[in-house]
Amino acid sequence: MTRSEAVDSAVNLGGIELRNPVLTASGTFGYGTEFAPFLDLRRLGGFVAKSLTLEPRVGNPPPRIAEAPSGMLNAISLENVGVEAFIREKLPAIPEGVTIIASVFETDVDRYAEVCNRLTGVPRIAGLELNASCPHVKSGGIEFGQDPQILGALVRAARRATTLPLLVKLSPNVTHIGEMARVCEGEGANGVSLINAVQALEVNPETRRPVLANGLGGLSGPAIRPIALRMVWQASQAVTIPICGIGGIESAEDAVKFLLCGATAVQVGTSNYLQPAVAGDVADGIASFAERQGLARVSDLVGALELPQR
Amino acid sequence: MWGEPVSEASWPGSKGSDPIRVDAEVIRNAAEGGACIRLALEVPGWPGFEPGQFAMLSPGPRAAAARSDPLLPRPMAVFRTRVENGRSVVEILYKVVGRGTALLSEAMPGQRVGIVGPLGRAFPAPGPQERVIVVAGGTGIASVFELCARLARSQHVEVLLGARNAADLMAVRDFEALDLPISIATDDGSNGQVGLVTDLLEAALERFGTEDHSAPGPDAAPMRLRVFSCGPTAMMRRCAQIATEAGVPCVVALENAMACGFGVCLGCAAPLKRGGYALVCREGPAFDAGAIDWERMP
Repeated sequence: MTRSEAVDSAVNLGGIELRNPVLTASGTFGYGTEFAPFLDLRRLGGFVAKSLTLEPRVGNPPPRIAEAPSGMLNAISLENVGVEAFIREKLPAIPEGVTIIASVFETDVDRYAEVCNRLTGVPRIAGLELNASCPHVKSGGIEFGQDPQILGALVRAARRATTLPLLVKLSPNVTHIGEMARVCEGEGANGVSLINAVQALEVNPETRRPVLANGLGGLSGPAIRPIALRMVWQASQAVTIPICGIGGIESAEDAVKFLLCGATAVQVGTSNYLQPAVAGDVADGIASFAERQGLARVSDLVGALELPQR
Repeated sequence: MWGEPVSEASWPGSKGSDPIRVDAEVIRNAAEGGACIRLALEVPGWPGFEPGQFAMLSPGPRAAAARSDPLLPRPMAVFRTRVENGRSVVEILYKVVGRGTALLSEAMPGQRVGIVGPLGRAFPAPGPQERVIVVAGGTGIASVFELCARLARSQHVEVLLGARNAADLMAVRDFEALDLPISIATDDGSNGQVGLVTDLLEAALERFGTEDHSAPGPDAAPMRLRVFSCGPTAMMRRCAQIATEAGVPCVVALENAMACGFGVCLGCAAPLKRGGYALVCREGPAFDAGAIDWERMP
């Protein structure tokens, strides 16, 4: 597929200018350089780096992953090099011309704010994504993303800590996603990203044990795509800030579905593992789709879902 | 003793090539007696590989519509590569062990299989003063063939192969063609000795210990011994134990499950003795057996 020149692919995601609406999801794209043999990162709108904590963090014991129908479970526990090593070693290795969004994760509000503050003013970081939703860290993520008051306190603190465009990555493990999105909007977030992995369990009947050493894990991949589409659509009905749609995207057609449901941009996640160049193909394919539809701009697809009259 | 660590030299002519991703055409995909299936893929632009490196293969042929179940590619050792009628051919040996390999076994010549490789850090190249014992079991046999092939001309290599039975024993003819001393153990004695391949290792180390190695090697140093091992975790754990007890260094090629193969999913973590984890895909699959925390290895 070649990129269509006739269509304007650029979008603005809460103040982050993207040359096209395709990002790669945090935790599925390392620090960017791992994909250099397979993909020119400048084909992407940008990428969201692996979540950063104040200190380097060691992950969970193995087994950390398991296959599931049309998806996979993971419980990595946000293993990362820490914010300082990211700034010192990882950031300079990313090719010029690539839009970089840093993802932030911590175990309490003050530490979240500290990481946000540390990343603010660092050259080349275009925005932050608060990981408020990681489903497998006992002391962290899940509480932030699941309780509107705790989520509100987190976004407020992060908002005070940074002048960068601020996205909040929401957990799908909630009853009312629209309410969570509204909380973020109310506290000054510039956008919301959804969904993170769906909390899940896989069991080995022979050993009577969970397959993952951690017990619970996060389900990702095509299996969660219809859930993600539903939640993106619900969030888009609740807020006016832009939405970044995530969940099992494998193709341009999948990405277009998210745009139609109200996402301004999308993130490709698990598919990067199987097809390391897929995000570039998705970006090109969206433009081709828009051209076939006779649209001038890719952004004309955003929120264009037509509901049957009742 | 003969157990000092040796330099972790790379292979002569090593280019340390970047991996490529190709939808490769299936040339052959046929069972060879027993349970072993030999897959030959034409991989244009294949940059070559080093002993112990692997590739990620799509679970089954790539059809017109993308398959999402099963989703993940499977890590498989590169058995060997060669040029056939001017085409770059990568050979993979595998067995049907689950849905992914069952689908792969249905791939017909002319169909395409996604491949990403070569991946991972190779076995270290032994020095000229080293005698090598290669211990492999099950599908781990495919991981050590290239190692044996590269060493066969220049080095004293002894090959110990194990499997449940004769039908499960991979690539015996290929190994025989290398003209190296080979010993075989099967659980039922249908080929070679009854028992485990690790029994063969114990015997080989015992024999080596009673021989005279004062005669200098090519660089006037006494001959030293090193074990290279690949197979089920229990087998490698036992190899590491036997080698440690004999004071012989041992290299293992781990076979953990992984989703990507190039250092991103962090799923293939192996526990280290010094604490923390190493990624099998990027820091391995070849590791010094003494670095692995075998107690915490699932």
